[in-house]
Amino acid sequence: MYSTRAVGLAPAFRQAALRPRNVARNPVLRTLIAKRTVQTESLPPSAEQQILNQQRLRRPSSPHFTIYQPQLTWIGSIANRVTGAGLSVLLYGYALAYLVAPGTFDSTHVIEFIGGLPDALKYAGKAILAAPFAYHSWNGLRHLGWDLGKFLTLKGAYTSGYAVLAATAVSTVALVFM
Amino acid sequence: MSSALVARAAFNRNVASALARRSLRPLAVQARGAADSAYVPGGPIYRGTVNDPTPFPPPSKTHGSYHWAFERLLSAGLVPLTVAAFATSGTNYPILDGLLGISLVMHSHIGFDSILVDYLHPRKFPFLGPAFTWLLRATTVGVLVGVYQFNTNDIGLTELIAKAWHA
Repeated sequence: MYSTRAVGLAPAFRQAALRPRNVARNPVLRTLIAKRTVQTESLPPSAEQQILNQQRLRRPSSPHFTIYQPQLTWIGSIANRVTGAGLSVLLYGYALAYLVAPGTFDSTHVIEFIGGLPDALKYAGKAILAAPFAYHSWNGLRHLGWDLGKFLTLKGAYTSGYAVLAATAVSTVALVFM
Repeated sequence: MSSALVARAAFNRNVASALARRSLRPLAVQARGAADSAYVPGGPIYRGTVNDPTPFPPPSKTHGSYHWAFERLLSAGLVPLTVAAFATSGTNYPILDGLLGISLVMHSHIGFDSILVDYLHPRKFPFLGPAFTWLLRATTVGVLVGVYQFNTNDIGLTELIAKAWHA
């Protein structure tokens, strides 16, 4: 099959590897060359599944989520969840904070604190709150439209998606400068 | 491919016999003994053997269509509720304010629950899934109490947002 013409260093390496060695018989060489200190463990045959599963858990998986092309459909969907979760975390956090420490978190202190911030920070804060609220609200209406059977084509999903993005931009500006 | 199926079939026979004879083993031992766990890395979770059907939760309208309809009605109702609450004011219409507070917390709870069902389903996370579900329920109860306290002893949610917006 393959031409095994001996060229180069291969024959020399082969000879060196296959030459009989007298290390085991030579006491001086035996102490010089370090003995392998590998610990072996005796396991029953039934442990094979366990070892196999442990190996499977350590194996890497091919990229799937990281290589999916960003599209309006799924980016919009996860943005709906992230905005909703973020706003809810704020609501839950404030309610629990007021429950735990009503003296620190009552309305007078909160309004005082916000009033003392620089203008740029106030506008930034309003934008950070208004944008997720606007997006979640408009996309929520898009979801309710889907539940009524509308926009359920690819074209419908994209048209409504772009409409939601436009409405979000306009609403955010309106809310910030209200 | 077929070797993986053969391996899984053999594995599931072990799982079935292990589940049959196991009583109440502590979770730490369960986690260590991979042959006893029902989770095959990368695979679905079998109960019994490959020939047993996938178990489904018992059909119930409360957890099915009624829950779905309630969730959509609540979300739809939030729109006029929010507009009305901010068009008037929370101090003049405290019941409206309270309704908005409760609806918002319920909507948030349903949303968080969907997140848990999607990413921490009890089928795949037999301990963490139910633990976080109950943690969410306890937190929601605390939030409801907090919202009630705030609406009763303080100015109310809509008033706070309106005032903070123009602070």
